[in-house]
Amino acid sequence: MDLANYKKVWKNQPEEKNKISALEIYKMTQSKSNSLVKWIFIIGLLEFVFWFAINYLGTKNGALEPYEKLNLINFIDNFNYFHYVLVVLFLILFYRNFSLISTGDDTKTLMKNILLVRKTVKWYVYYNLIYAVVFSIILNILIFNTPDGINILSGIDNESFNKEHMMSVFIIAQIVVIAIMILILWLFYYLLYGILLKKLNKNYKELTKLNEIS
Amino acid sequence: MNDFEKNQNIVHKICRIYTTNQDEHNDLFQEITIQVWKNYSKFRGEAKFSTWMYRVALNTAISLFRKSKRKIKTQDFSDVSFKIKSVDYDDTKDKQLKALYLGIRGLNDIEKALMFLYLEDKPYKEIAKTLGITEVNARVKMNRTKQKLKKILNP
Repeated sequence: MDLANYKKVWKNQPEEKNKISALEIYKMTQSKSNSLVKWIFIIGLLEFVFWFAINYLGTKNGALEPYEKLNLINFIDNFNYFHYVLVVLFLILFYRNFSLISTGDDTKTLMKNILLVRKTVKWYVYYNLIYAVVFSIILNILIFNTPDGINILSGIDNESFNKEHMMSVFIIAQIVVIAIMILILWLFYYLLYGILLKKLNKNYKELTKLNEIS
Repeated sequence: MNDFEKNQNIVHKICRIYTTNQDEHNDLFQEITIQVWKNYSKFRGEAKFSTWMYRVALNTAISLFRKSKRKIKTQDFSDVSFKIKSVDYDDTKDKQLKALYLGIRGLNDIEKALMFLYLEDKPYKEIAKTLGITEVNARVKMNRTKQKLKKILNP
């Protein structure tokens, strides 16, 4: 049987026997959505809160006390103000891109806009990682250029300890911590967004591939 | 939501294509209802309500819907959904319809949408607009999808 005949069968198919009443439809509209867009939005917001909290907590709880002694507080404050401005800009971008999502759009545009929201969050995470690295590098340079900088910071008040040795331990420790952090984050994001966006990525590829066939 | 209620048969057909059991069918139907309700304010009447609804429903099925993880206890839905409604309904046609649905389920998400719009007699211009591709690409992809479906239906 050819498709034209199947088309006739399709057209003559009986109507759904379990018709949903207007009241039931209204009740459905009041129930919670379980859509991909909702989860992308929630996870995106949680990421903003998470990174903001990490940064905020890092500057509280007495963590800055040694830096006060080194007169680096002004530098850290200025760096933080700059950081907060960028966080706000990212948040604005996140909301703007999120509001572009409309299920009334064509399928390709909709997918592109969903992926754009995800990309905004990805840039935000990259920014935070780069910020952490740049911040530590500048801070290290300032500490090592301050006389007795390491002594004050490490709390060791011993003239005889090897300054250069301490310096390398300090730097290696920081590199290891950052590397582990990036690895954990990469694994986490790979799994989280990998699972969440698997279907969307596959379908988006299928649609973009279409542009290459003609 | 009156228009939605009147056009719900379209949504049921999409649910049958994109899901394999009654629980999933109901979940997808509910998600499409929510999406139509939430986005209705953005519907500006530049197209017919049903045209707009095709988009929202297909978009929800293709991009937004996430199957819930709960265990499925209901029987396979292809056995229950097409029971003969009227006395004079032909049994062969029922079997052919079942075969068609099973065949379409063997396609990928985009191909399903293309085939659905073809069966619903939508012009290529509208199909292309719904999916966000060019008319030429829609035609090329449609021909390939038809061939694929033919092979599934007549192995």
